[in-house]
Amino acid sequence: MCVSAKGAYLKAAVFEYHQPASAEAAVEMLAELGEDAKVLAGGQSLVPVMAMRLGRPEHLVDVNRVAGLGGVTRSDGMLRVGALTRHRALERDLVIGRDVPLLARAAPYIGHFQIRNRGTLGGSLAHADPAAELPAVAVALDAGIEAHSVRGVRRIPADDFFVSAFTTVLEPDELVTAVHLPVWGAGSGFAVAELTRRHGDFAIAGAACGVQVAGGRIIRAAVALFGMGSVPVRAWSAEQALADTLAAEADLTAIGSEAVAALHPPADAHGSAAYRRRVGAHMVTRALRTALAEAQRGSS
Amino acid sequence: MSELDVTLTVNGERRRARVEPRRTLADLLRQELGLTGTHLACEHGVCGSCTVLVDGEAVRSCLMFGVQADGSEVTTVEGLAGDEPGSLGPVQRAFWETHGLQCGFCTPGFVVSVTAFLRECPDPDDEQIRAALSGNLCRCTGYQGIVRAVRLAARLCRNEKDHDERGGGELEVTGD
Amino acid sequence: MTSPAARWVGQAVRRREDPRLLAGRGRYVDDVTMPGLLHAAFVRSPVARGVIRGIDTSAARDLPGVVAVYTAADLNEPGRPFWKTMTGPTGQPPHRLLAEGDVRFTGDVMALVVAESRYLAEDGAELVDVDIDPLPPVLDPAAAAGKGDGEAGGVPLVHPELGTNVADELPAAPRPDVDAVFASAAHVITETFGQHRYLPVPMETRGVVASWDRWSDRLELVISGQGAHEVRLFYSRYFGIPEDRIRVLMGDVGGSFGQKVFPVNDEIAVVAAARKLGRPVKWIEDRSENLIAGGHARDQSMRVSFALGADGVVLGARTDLTENVGAFPAGGSGSMLLAAMVVFPGPYRIGAFAATGRAYFTNTGSRCAYRGPWMIETTAREQMMDVAAAELGIDPLELRRRNVIKPGDLPFTTAVGLTYEAVSPAQTLEQAAELIGYDEFRVRQRQARAEGRLTGIGMSVYIEPLGAPGILATEAATIRIEPGGTVNVYMSTGSHGQSLETTLVQVVADHLGAALDDIHLIQGDTAATPYGPGTSGSRSAIVASGAAAQASGSMRERVLAIAGALLEADPADLAMTDSRISVAGDPDSGLSLAEVVAAAYLNPASLPPGTPAGLEVSERYRAPMLNFSNAAHACTVEVDPATGVVRILRYVVSEDCGNMINPMVVEGQIAGGVVQGIGGVFYEHMVYDADGNPLPTTFLDYLLPTAAEVPDLEYGHVVTPSAAPGGFKGMGEGGAIASPAALANAVRDALAPLGVRITTQPLTPEKIISLIEDGRPLR
Repeated sequence: MCVSAKGAYLKAAVFEYHQPASAEAAVEMLAELGEDAKVLAGGQSLVPVMAMRLGRPEHLVDVNRVAGLGGVTRSDGMLRVGALTRHRALERDLVIGRDVPLLARAAPYIGHFQIRNRGTLGGSLAHADPAAELPAVAVALDAGIEAHSVRGVRRIPADDFFVSAFTTVLEPDELVTAVHLPVWGAGSGFAVAELTRRHGDFAIAGAACGVQVAGGRIIRAAVALFGMGSVPVRAWSAEQALADTLAAEADLTAIGSEAVAALHPPADAHGSAAYRRRVGAHMVTRALRTALAEAQRGSS
Repeated sequence: MSELDVTLTVNGERRRARVEPRRTLADLLRQELGLTGTHLACEHGVCGSCTVLVDGEAVRSCLMFGVQADGSEVTTVEGLAGDEPGSLGPVQRAFWETHGLQCGFCTPGFVVSVTAFLRECPDPDDEQIRAALSGNLCRCTGYQGIVRAVRLAARLCRNEKDHDERGGGELEVTGD
Repeated sequence: MTSPAARWVGQAVRRREDPRLLAGRGRYVDDVTMPGLLHAAFVRSPVARGVIRGIDTSAARDLPGVVAVYTAADLNEPGRPFWKTMTGPTGQPPHRLLAEGDVRFTGDVMALVVAESRYLAEDGAELVDVDIDPLPPVLDPAAAAGKGDGEAGGVPLVHPELGTNVADELPAAPRPDVDAVFASAAHVITETFGQHRYLPVPMETRGVVASWDRWSDRLELVISGQGAHEVRLFYSRYFGIPEDRIRVLMGDVGGSFGQKVFPVNDEIAVVAAARKLGRPVKWIEDRSENLIAGGHARDQSMRVSFALGADGVVLGARTDLTENVGAFPAGGSGSMLLAAMVVFPGPYRIGAFAATGRAYFTNTGSRCAYRGPWMIETTAREQMMDVAAAELGIDPLELRRRNVIKPGDLPFTTAVGLTYEAVSPAQTLEQAAELIGYDEFRVRQRQARAEGRLTGIGMSVYIEPLGAPGILATEAATIRIEPGGTVNVYMSTGSHGQSLETTLVQVVADHLGAALDDIHLIQGDTAATPYGPGTSGSRSAIVASGAAAQASGSMRERVLAIAGALLEADPADLAMTDSRISVAGDPDSGLSLAEVVAAAYLNPASLPPGTPAGLEVSERYRAPMLNFSNAAHACTVEVDPATGVVRILRYVVSEDCGNMINPMVVEGQIAGGVVQGIGGVFYEHMVYDADGNPLPTTFLDYLLPTAAEVPDLEYGHVVTPSAAPGGFKGMGEGGAIASPAALANAVRDALAPLGVRITTQPLTPEKIISLIEDGRPLR
């Protein structure tokens, strides 16, 4: 019986390197190269995979020099954030901090500042790690993910974007170019809570939440869990339970339990399904408590 | 693939190399450019021993390919020394004072990371310090001397900045 | 002659090593390069046990840039002596360079690819096709033991040649003395404590550069190790080459903690390949290799029985130790049965004691030495104290007070026959309790418990043996004062973080009287330094400093004899400090060391007849065979009942390592060891699946604590000088020995109201939640 030899590899296999200068050139390359090509953005997830030879794309299309993939622009109650926006920029950009606070507050949880100097918004969404924060933020806020290809542009609702662990609806030749996020109104509060083994690790379970309060009542709630399934999970029933309740009377512990009740989180070396459910519930409660406090301050 | 030419500025000096695209920035610095101060202890982006500054920002050089640094300014630990030849910069002097290293293997990564951190956060509290250090692993010190080094380095960097702004001259390191 | 002034010893002198290391000018193995250097990569077994049907290297050999591909047929030479000096020729498993006929653990090296770069070598390794028939592996002692009757029976054998999976045994022997104590004791308590497999994980992995130097006709090795001479001796024996035809160099070494003490087969294969190829070859273990196959540790289980009096005095103890030493333990059988037995009674007056045990080979990663390799005895004993305290309704600190060896008990001979003289466990216990604020904590704990918060306090007390038997007993120092006045000290130490370039220089400065900055330590070069076993086993502070002190003293005599001749003064009236020799009480008189040196080297005619010429001295110091340092650890934690996460609130260590050469270095060593204990208890776990595949193979899954997981440590010092010159004692391993028990005890104490029984590690958050939810009443 032949078993392929498992080396312990930490030097990448050979690949061809491409450095397009424009989005048009990038998508043309991707169309031509097909499944043999991967987009290189921040590289913080892709490069280790390649070093370990678990992934061996024959072509890397480095989009770091593509013009027009950065920037933050606001129009019609939406914020358009360029795909190449680094995680560090998400943390510090004043417009993002003001208009989509959940995005700014999720960013510091991503790894360590050295990772965040390179990692990108578009890259995180395209990588679709089930334990990552930014996909959950996109899902919580009903973001639209803008993708270019030789066939044109499309905007994919976050709800449809994530298919399963590390898998999105993106075609192999599509390039994420921006993310469109709604700006909530006055009386809103946002928070992320997650449990990790160590500072900066991937979440065992986490929650990204937003609530909006008016006249003492919760008029809008968004709860998305990460690390609790193969994709971010929108806790619809928990959101419904919050809707129209008095902010001061919301039973956040019960809401937390409700949010995880029907879930089947993955089991792995870092946590069993039962443990993740337990922790997930606590994270929802903690995030909602913080978000609600902010929302109430802002609405009074 | 055949090799590509890479031109970059390293520690203020223009350098050239010809490398395969798969060669990491870490390997390019260490082997093609002979700057072995940057160390490899995991090669999958967790331990931080390979940290360098690229265009002023701390990055894990094992997670960049050398060709990506074409046209960039890179600073390695060798470039953080003081103005006089053979002297040490304030972060290095702080580590020296506080016993912030034992075997020294993780040290360049810490020195570069701390340098970048203090430029952005010149007066950190302990919680900020520990969070900022969490991206670098050390096995010898238990981080005790390293946390003390960052506290001292913050003071030294502020003193030096004040000092430079006031016109320069001799500056004493006073331990704590 | 006046005695040396203690000017530098005892001071927190800044390290001599630091300027080069901070500036990135250190030289580690991977920094070494030379013309024509080739690079090695291994093909490693993907299965834990199996028969090799074939290894096809043809595609690899055809890859441009690949220079050679070796298998067992090329490199193995059965019959070559594979044993390590420290552990001797008996008791070890059958070693081979590359797997031959079968593979015995996942990661077992099967082929060695040599290429123009490591990238190409890995490309080559990928092209090697291996054909293995997998067989069911034996992964733990229960499986290795089969029916438990000592016969392998139908159980698979890790090493068929041995006919057994038992690597070592401490057999039961009739002990009527112990039986009697147990029979009449007021309480007999038994519990089994397990500690899981975790790893040394030095930041620099293992590696070697091997070349045959044609000019000197010598095998030259640059190695990441703990002692250059041991490496030379091993290779001399292995290859059958005289020692002077081998030169081993150690530059900077990025940590080791015991993992690099013994040459291991993969590294030896690289040296053999370089020799065969006639070209220099470098191998640097990568991090995955280091985690899978670089050497594993701990993975032991100890059943402890205490026979206690009604007042809680431990009258007798029995232990039974089970160990998993993996497939190819690096030194001897890898077993700690004897060492753990010898140390178990520890700091308590346990009168009767018997130990048994078994160590088993398994198809898993091989055991290496790791900081206090015998420490299961402390992990088990100190947790047993807390378990017994709870059973008897006595506070664990009070129980320890009733049992600990007090100054009035000294000299104390343990049940195993060790005699303690200069130890202070009682004093460190009290100091640790005071530093942590034990009584105040208990008050706050009652309040916290009333609020539903889970806080706990745990302690651990131990005595660390500093063994200098056999080859570890001596150390030599050669001191040469150069014509320019520089004092060079040549020693066989192999510092890999212990700051010996600083501490030994401090010792020489005081004993010789030379200026600190004029003294340099040269180590890690077999061509330049006298023989010694290197740096391990917490021996350097006694043995190396003893050698440095002894040689310095002799050199001082030599210098003062010449100075006396030049000054026409009696050497007994002369003092030397900071490289200045003067008549005692008249500091303005006298000569500089440089002037003495000039006379000795350049103008020996100026010396009266009979004055010894030259300024070179070589002395070998023999240490007392056993010394002891001791410490007590105390820590407080809070457990989050929602998530099981443990936060360490405070951690204090009261350490007695005699006189300290450099307190800053001592505290640094304690800190590193304690944080390795924190890692072991809460984060690190090398675990295998049912097929024998190691699950954590990168730092993504093998979790080391970061600065954010670790509190500020606090230290107290008790000083009980040893009988060795200077009164120093080694202490490098202690932090890692005592911390796991202290931490586990603190968690046990925090969860005590919930009826939780803690007997294993690691204590991950999920494990703690499951303990809480399963809550069995305390026995």
